[in-house]
Amino acid sequence: MKLTREEYRALEATVGPEYITQEPVIMDTYNQVWGNKFFFDAKHSVRPAAVLLPASAEEIAAAVKACNKYGILFKAFSSGFEYLSLSLAHSKGILFDMRRMNRILEIDAKNMRAVVEPYVSVYRLQLEAARHGLYTGRIGVGYSAGVIAAECCHHGCQHTMVSTSGYGRNVLGVEWVLPTGEILNPGTGESGGDLFSADGPGFSLRGILRGRTGANGGHGVITRASVKLYPWYGPKEWHQKKQPGEPLSRGQLDRVPDGYRVLVPTFPDLESQLEAAGEVCRTEILYGLSIAMLATGVVPEGNDEDWAWARKADPRMADNFRQSLVLVMGAPSKRMLDYREKAARAITDKWGGRFLPEFNEPKALARAFIDLIWSTGVPSLRITGDFLPSSSSPDGSPDMLKRLALAEQQIVARYEGQGAFFQKGKKAVTWRPEEHLSIGAQGISTALYDPYDPMSLKAAREFIDELFDPRGKLKRFGVPSRGGCLQIEPVTHVHQNWGHLYDNYDVWMMKIKKVLDPDTVGDWTAYIPPEYPDYARDGDYVLPSYGKEEEL
Amino acid sequence: MAWQDYVHDMQRCTRCSYCKWIPYRYMRQTDFIQGCPSISRYLWHAYAGSGKFNMAYSLQQGRIEIDDTFLDVLYKCHMDGSCDVSCKVQQDIEPLQLMQELRIKCVEDGALVSAHMIVIEGLRKEDNMMMARRADRGKWAAGLDVKDLTGDTAEVIYHAGCRYSYDEELWPVARAGVNLLRKAGVDVGIMGGDETCCGGRAYELGYAGELTKYAEHQIETLRTAGVRAVVTPCSDCYACFKVLYDKIGKKLEIEVYHITQYLDKLIKEGRLKLSKKVPLNVTYHDPCHLGRLGEPWVHWQGKEIKVMGQMIVHDPPKQYRRGAKGVYETPRDILKSIPGLELVEMYRIKEYAWCCGAGGGVIDAYPDFATWTGAERLREAKAVGAEAIVSACPWCKRNFLDAAKETGDRIQVYDIIELVERAV
Repeated sequence: MKLTREEYRALEATVGPEYITQEPVIMDTYNQVWGNKFFFDAKHSVRPAAVLLPASAEEIAAAVKACNKYGILFKAFSSGFEYLSLSLAHSKGILFDMRRMNRILEIDAKNMRAVVEPYVSVYRLQLEAARHGLYTGRIGVGYSAGVIAAECCHHGCQHTMVSTSGYGRNVLGVEWVLPTGEILNPGTGESGGDLFSADGPGFSLRGILRGRTGANGGHGVITRASVKLYPWYGPKEWHQKKQPGEPLSRGQLDRVPDGYRVLVPTFPDLESQLEAAGEVCRTEILYGLSIAMLATGVVPEGNDEDWAWARKADPRMADNFRQSLVLVMGAPSKRMLDYREKAARAITDKWGGRFLPEFNEPKALARAFIDLIWSTGVPSLRITGDFLPSSSSPDGSPDMLKRLALAEQQIVARYEGQGAFFQKGKKAVTWRPEEHLSIGAQGISTALYDPYDPMSLKAAREFIDELFDPRGKLKRFGVPSRGGCLQIEPVTHVHQNWGHLYDNYDVWMMKIKKVLDPDTVGDWTAYIPPEYPDYARDGDYVLPSYGKEEEL
Repeated sequence: MAWQDYVHDMQRCTRCSYCKWIPYRYMRQTDFIQGCPSISRYLWHAYAGSGKFNMAYSLQQGRIEIDDTFLDVLYKCHMDGSCDVSCKVQQDIEPLQLMQELRIKCVEDGALVSAHMIVIEGLRKEDNMMMARRADRGKWAAGLDVKDLTGDTAEVIYHAGCRYSYDEELWPVARAGVNLLRKAGVDVGIMGGDETCCGGRAYELGYAGELTKYAEHQIETLRTAGVRAVVTPCSDCYACFKVLYDKIGKKLEIEVYHITQYLDKLIKEGRLKLSKKVPLNVTYHDPCHLGRLGEPWVHWQGKEIKVMGQMIVHDPPKQYRRGAKGVYETPRDILKSIPGLELVEMYRIKEYAWCCGAGGGVIDAYPDFATWTGAERLREAKAVGAEAIVSACPWCKRNFLDAAKETGDRIQVYDIIELVERAV
């Protein structure tokens, strides 16, 4: 839907003519993103009415006020690597592309925090923080993800949560343009003070700001955030280099940096592997942990190389792979590192673990270190073109996650057996502990499908319906996750089906939405609508009344 | 492959944005981690490699048309291949080839950039990309004691290229190249006024027919001259001879060398001795066409198949060009062999190098963008403490000189030939 001249002029006045566009050629590059085919049955979702490139909170606030005046939906995004970042409920909607707000405003080494703007990527912050001996947690989807997107707006899980906790628990303060256009600074502990609240942001507003899974752009724009940093024991600068015989695009460290140790124990069975993982977490010696996802080997450059490797791989390797752990430990002194390594080895020994040479040679350990600490991106996307995290990253106890994962694997195996998914051919349980397991863990496993293969796509949809059926055999408990990755379903499906089963949580979310956004201008496709659309529950996952492209 | 044949790639671009940066494993300094000048300068996603996939898919689906905005986005791009290298870290898709095919489609459809039309008109009339007269082509070599291969024979032909032939400020470099070869005893000759364009730059603008025409012409010229090797000081010409001719099935039957490769050979054989000190702290800029775009072409014909359920592979296996097989160490070896010269590396090097700004027709149609890109590279050179930036391509040198002039930068700009000449 085109904006009227008056509407366009009002928005143009906020950012200047150079930084607003309604050119179809350009706007059609803002609605083709990972996951669209699954949800909208097309690569394209709604074409926005305009895209803006704001440079400040004030510009955004002014534009949002114009949105309120004219009834225009808005949503902001940083790198835009997920459908929930760019989807709009209808075409009278605009997107804020936050590229111009790309500064690391402060690294406060003394108080171990950084203040960043929305387009600052995780890896960029890591490079800069390391110069101060600091580190920000790894992000699951890779290095191009935005710090603010991950920590304030979305959901996901990753391997350093054992020490750096979940994304949402790292927000100390924010500058927040509300859907009304007001600018709020929760997290300021004193008048005129900086953005630092230990239970940030502000007076326990985290639940409203993002909850567990993030509002995904549904109630305003975070224009600055103060986020926690953690000790970094590695070098201030590092240089990953190509290694002979290894993929060209994957530079490596020669070895694990001095301030860290990596151990990769392999256990005789699933039970001992998971028991050892739990115990080593609770000793609070870990910096990073991976279960059954090793990354010690050479990651093939492309699918053809991957396929060649798979054909000649020793089948026993897969068994060892799925029953191993990667333990990353860091410490400021050799003595402390020695202690941590000793403890990890003792626990390994207790549960019958051993250290296979192929997983524990120096370069293998360096590869695992890089993957756990900095992320390798999402190679799963290359294999089939898309993937679905099957377990929806629920929080819970390791036991619950294990039960869920094993039950899910039976379902996944059925689809894999039909040739509908990539056949991983292995069963494994993996969960990612938060804060040394003191608050449980998040589980994740993936189903890889091809969205442009009708049979595979159909199976993926059936698979998600099966997993997310609250009356189904999984009897899942907990608030369903909607952010991060593609464990998201259309909000009406999730909330309408689940809300009444789980304490009517959705009613409270709707109330928050209404209070914060009285004119309903914050796009809610990945959050919650103020009222449900009038159509049947248990509807199809393809959004029936919104999110579909209009006639151009 | 035509542009529509890349639908698979268009569909599978996930908008991960890797194309905007150099691969993170090679990021070292936060000011210099961007890889694509287009998206860095023009900001809208369309200007990134991913955006081109999106545009192409919208075009294929009939959602948009080729209009002025389409052309602006498509052509404000250096075709430097940075996005291609970064994309392939994550995906088995071909952003650069799609962009090339989109440009060819635009030309075929008559959707033309006016500045390029003038250049191409000049090419068709005068056989060069510099909008200059054919009759002036050989002036750069006036007075050089070198064989004229229009009537003589030699082992090696020295192909100066359009930029060196017509950019008078750069003539000393082109001449120095010949002198160095002769000094080492190489039996070398030139075509002088009869030399023509290689066709590579026209191809990058989308004029595919021009490439075929000049490939056929060069093949015939080289055959008639009876040479065993062609040596060129121009990286664009090198990539054209080495890669593009092969791509279109007109591979040269003789050896193709960039001059750095030939000089390196001469130095290592002891035929060229670098004995004079050149006390300079320099950094080396990898020309895109000598580096990632200079990687040999890999022919592949086959089909996509599924294995292990839904894994997408190729039968026969497809070897993707990832830029790593360009010419990187050779020029560095030369620089390291110059007495007194210190080489300091920038943060984005080899297949992850930032473009000089002159490629893809940008210098012709959008000179301010060319200057901006060049100035960014000079900023990086200064950030690592270099007194001078050295490249191995006349287009790079020209654009760096222009950028330095525009910005008032005092960094010295050299072609590697000049430093070798000083050292001999």
